[in-house]
Amino acid sequence: MDKVLILVEAKGDELRKVSLELLSEGLRLAEGGRFSSEALFLGKLPGKVKEKILHYTEKLVHVTDPVLENYTAEGHALALAGYARKSGAKMILSGATQSARDFLPRVAVLLQAGIASDVTGANWLENPMTFIRPMYGGRVLSEVTFPAYPAIVTVRPNHFGLGAPLATKGEFTEFQAGIISEQLKTSVIQKEETARDKVDLTEADRIVAGGRGLKAAENFKIIEDLAELIGATVGATRSVVDAKWRDQADQIGKSGKTVSPNLYIGAGISGAIHHIMGMDTSKVVLAINSDPNAIIFKYANYGIVGDLFETLPAMTEELKKRLGK
Amino acid sequence: MNIIVLIKQIPDSEALVTISEDGAMLNIEQKFAMNLFDEYALEEALRIKEKHRGKVKAITLGSGKAVEALRTGIAMGADEAMLLEDEVFLDGDGYATAFVLSKAIAKEPFDIILCGRQAIDDDRGEVGQMVAQLLGLPHVGSIVKLDIADGAAVAEVAVESGKEVVKVQLPAVFTAQKGLNEPRVPLIVGVMKAMKAQIPRVTAADLGLTAVQTGKQGSKVKVVKYSLPKKTSAVQFLSGEPREAAIEAVRILMDVERVI
Repeated sequence: MDKVLILVEAKGDELRKVSLELLSEGLRLAEGGRFSSEALFLGKLPGKVKEKILHYTEKLVHVTDPVLENYTAEGHALALAGYARKSGAKMILSGATQSARDFLPRVAVLLQAGIASDVTGANWLENPMTFIRPMYGGRVLSEVTFPAYPAIVTVRPNHFGLGAPLATKGEFTEFQAGIISEQLKTSVIQKEETARDKVDLTEADRIVAGGRGLKAAENFKIIEDLAELIGATVGATRSVVDAKWRDQADQIGKSGKTVSPNLYIGAGISGAIHHIMGMDTSKVVLAINSDPNAIIFKYANYGIVGDLFETLPAMTEELKKRLGK
Repeated sequence: MNIIVLIKQIPDSEALVTISEDGAMLNIEQKFAMNLFDEYALEEALRIKEKHRGKVKAITLGSGKAVEALRTGIAMGADEAMLLEDEVFLDGDGYATAFVLSKAIAKEPFDIILCGRQAIDDDRGEVGQMVAQLLGLPHVGSIVKLDIADGAAVAEVAVESGKEVVKVQLPAVFTAQKGLNEPRVPLIVGVMKAMKAQIPRVTAADLGLTAVQTGKQGSKVKVVKYSLPKKTSAVQFLSGEPREAAIEAVRILMDVERVI
């Protein structure tokens, strides 16, 4: 059986959604009988996260080392490569999170392995296995394969479905990475947590995004109201971020974040290519724009041609009624 | 301070990209630009040089046309440029590309290596980190601020939960994120200088490399085929007064699509 290591991450005291998606995929693969999977966690493991993982895996390996207390690419790469070598895994699978995409290329070099970054699909049962990765901001898909293993794959959030937990808890073991801390030349000297509880755009299930059509920073209130009601994360276009109406962290697109929510509502967004590149793998897209020729309608499932200052509050009001809030 | 900047020439984001009938090749309209994130990297290199003195060298791996990106680099203020140009270097994955770059960099003096966090054509975001590991160097990814003092660097990274400040010993690799700086527009004098600049070409033989180690042959990831994403069906417009359209939208999202 081919062993797949699933790198699992937490955000604060919560298991990351993309990690849960991959653990679910791991369980589905194990059912097929060709693969076995192991969950791998690096560094400080909150109890709640550990419990959650154990319900979604046959085995959890907690890789520990003092240098893993804080994230450094060097430390995480050495620790993961060390365990991967020992375990004889065929694949390392991880969410395409900021830190995984930062340090897994180093692991690829350490293991002399191929890496496919930010994939949106996998054909596990084909021989050889193939993976789908978007290029050119999603305008082209490439189907890639590995001539040799081990191999590393990072997966974009919201592309593998969540499964049901196991009836029994998986096995738990610890692995001491044994890193010589003098080897590391990076150290974290300061951390500022400002957005700890917010669901990040890249993992968000629902997004309400605004563009120039909002006319002013304070008008994002109507976007925020709708977003809060439906548990969505607020996104923005480049021009809005460049105008300092919204923070850089909110930017969707080529020089911002790539998002893949189940629901994307875009208001007052014309649909410039650099924005589309960041959102066109969204599942259901509703666009609201006063210009019937706005390009974003080409990428939308549903469109409302009209004034967003009337439409958005009307949607919020109707949703409040329907959701009983 | 010797600073190396890795630059990639990429198709302009408006360039037309089509796929050959058998799905084996991409046909790309011949409109090129320097990768956006690499411009931030180069700008940062120039600012470090202006503050601490030193030399900025831009390196590109690519076909002959890619020399244009290096000329833009010189026009912006890079002191030197070098093009890694060889048939066998082309069509590589992140690993094969980083491998050649690391061999070329190893022959140069350097304290700092800067590059963009990602090239927006292949969207891999792997090469900078791989170059660091291949050279046994630390790296800090997606930086939005960089200060150099006493043989070390302090870099700020925008992370999901806020920000982190990281200290790293030099030499080190940094990948540039939007927000790091505002890249300058080249002055006419710079453009004139760039037009006249001699840009040396470096081949696989110059680096002592063979075809199987580089480019397509040296890649650990192979492309089976290219395809176009599934087209979303044509947009369905919800008509009526804003209030009616809003109510209809809510009904569809809740009852038909079930995404709320």
